[in-house]
Amino acid sequence: MNESLARPRTFRSPCHRLPPLVALFLSVAAITVGMLLPPGHWPSHGALLCVLFAALSLARVPPGVVLRRLVAFLAFAVLFAVSVPLSQGFRGGWELAQGILFRGVESFLSGLWLMSVVPFDRLLAALRRLGVPAILLAILAFMYRFLFVLWNELDTMRAARRARTFDRAGLIFRWRNAAQMIGMLLIRSLGRSERVYGAMCARGWDGTLRTLDE
Amino acid sequence: MHVQDGYLSPEVCIATGAIAAAAVGYSVYKLRDGVSDRVVPLTGMTAAMIFAGQMVNFPLGLPVSGHLIGGVLAGMILGPWAGCLAVTMVLIVQRFLFSDGGLFTLGANILHMADIGSIGGYAIVSIVRRFFKKPKVGVIVGSVVAAWLTVVAASALFCLEFRLSHPAGDFDIRNIFALMVAIHSLIGVGEALITAAVVSFVLAQRPDLILGQTSTSADTAMAGVSRVTVAGVVVALCIGAFLAPFKSNLDDGLEHVSKVQGFSELAHSAWAFFSDYDAIPLFSGHWQGLSVSVAGVVGTLCVLLLALAFGRAVSPRSKAVEAGRE
Repeated sequence: MNESLARPRTFRSPCHRLPPLVALFLSVAAITVGMLLPPGHWPSHGALLCVLFAALSLARVPPGVVLRRLVAFLAFAVLFAVSVPLSQGFRGGWELAQGILFRGVESFLSGLWLMSVVPFDRLLAALRRLGVPAILLAILAFMYRFLFVLWNELDTMRAARRARTFDRAGLIFRWRNAAQMIGMLLIRSLGRSERVYGAMCARGWDGTLRTLDE
Repeated sequence: MHVQDGYLSPEVCIATGAIAAAAVGYSVYKLRDGVSDRVVPLTGMTAAMIFAGQMVNFPLGLPVSGHLIGGVLAGMILGPWAGCLAVTMVLIVQRFLFSDGGLFTLGANILHMADIGSIGGYAIVSIVRRFFKKPKVGVIVGSVVAAWLTVVAASALFCLEFRLSHPAGDFDIRNIFALMVAIHSLIGVGEALITAAVVSFVLAQRPDLILGQTSTSADTAMAGVSRVTVAGVVVALCIGAFLAPFKSNLDDGLEHVSKVQGFSELAHSAWAFFSDYDAIPLFSGHWQGLSVSVAGVVGTLCVLLLALAFGRAVSPRSKAVEAGRE
């Protein structure tokens, strides 16, 4: 999963040629339409879902990927949506639950489409043009860059833990172990941020992010 | 914890978005003063760390497993403002990479986890730690209390938003309130446990990271008054969470009853449940009161026990034992 997220797809499709701002606008528009449709109206929500699936196939997102992520999303979305009727003893709240489910899936699909069409750095550039403060975008870019580094570090730590066969241990021990893993990750990542900061200063970092396309 | 699109009405989305944007804007403003070049790597790295830390599973012995939320942790390491930004970044990336949480409810999610979690959590920790002579014990007890209170307060705030979003519907808001608060006081115990365990590990290895001020929290700490105010809001939300199901048992005409009468009504509704014992609690309509009071009592007890246990664990004697073992 890390790999597919780290390297944006390089397929050529009409969707990929869209300017990032247009893609962002289309994605937001789809979610807005979903919000405005009546919650339990099956035909209109069905039509919107068809449009979204068509857009995903136009963007050449592999159906297997869509299906896998949709199932993972639905597992939680259904749980949350059903909690409304559940709290009523299944005597009401069904319409609201339908609306939550429809809108959640629409929002999920349109987010998936946006991410597979626009690489993250181009999305950040588009957001900068919309006037989002530069410091926020710089933090986002930095976080995105090191997210994958820390994931790999976490994988290494997990492998080391598995090698010590701690998975067989009791619940309390495993909790302590997991917490120590997070603590170790925290200590290492703060140390890393100090080193990276030093390296950035050595290269003339003054608090503003510069990109090549400016 | 993430609120999906579809839960909240557009008006509530706009209102929560505006509040969240104001909080994020204020955080940026506070950090702009002198440390802005340090903010980017430190905040970005901490945000990435919290994101990765959320991937670590805490087994529950069930098919589902728990994980860290991290708002209080971010607030404790980075201070309130950079912590708020770090959690906001985590939420934004989760939205765009995983479609976790809605787009229009991003403001609500930032409000729940970054603002309450990080700013509120920082305020609570910094107040609680003053009551203890040993700084390590104070920080750990503070982290337990803050983690639990912020999770419960966030769930109460969500219920309030939900209520404002759907003033009329074919459902009873009290039941949703009770279910949410009961579930989240358990989630809060998990978060308190994880946060305290992480904090005590870091305190043992690198106490300076938490006890010393990091460069983002040094010049930009909160004033005493705003600390008390922020912590007060969080605590008030929690109290509201546990009183709301009782209070709403009152008739509409009694909405203006005084506090004293409110409490007598509270006792009455609790008594009514026990007299009605043969009914199935889930469907009888009285279950909200009981489940919420059980959740409140169990949650408070757990938090007290956790605070005691972790507080003991960092006292000098047992630390020597730990060191000997390693």
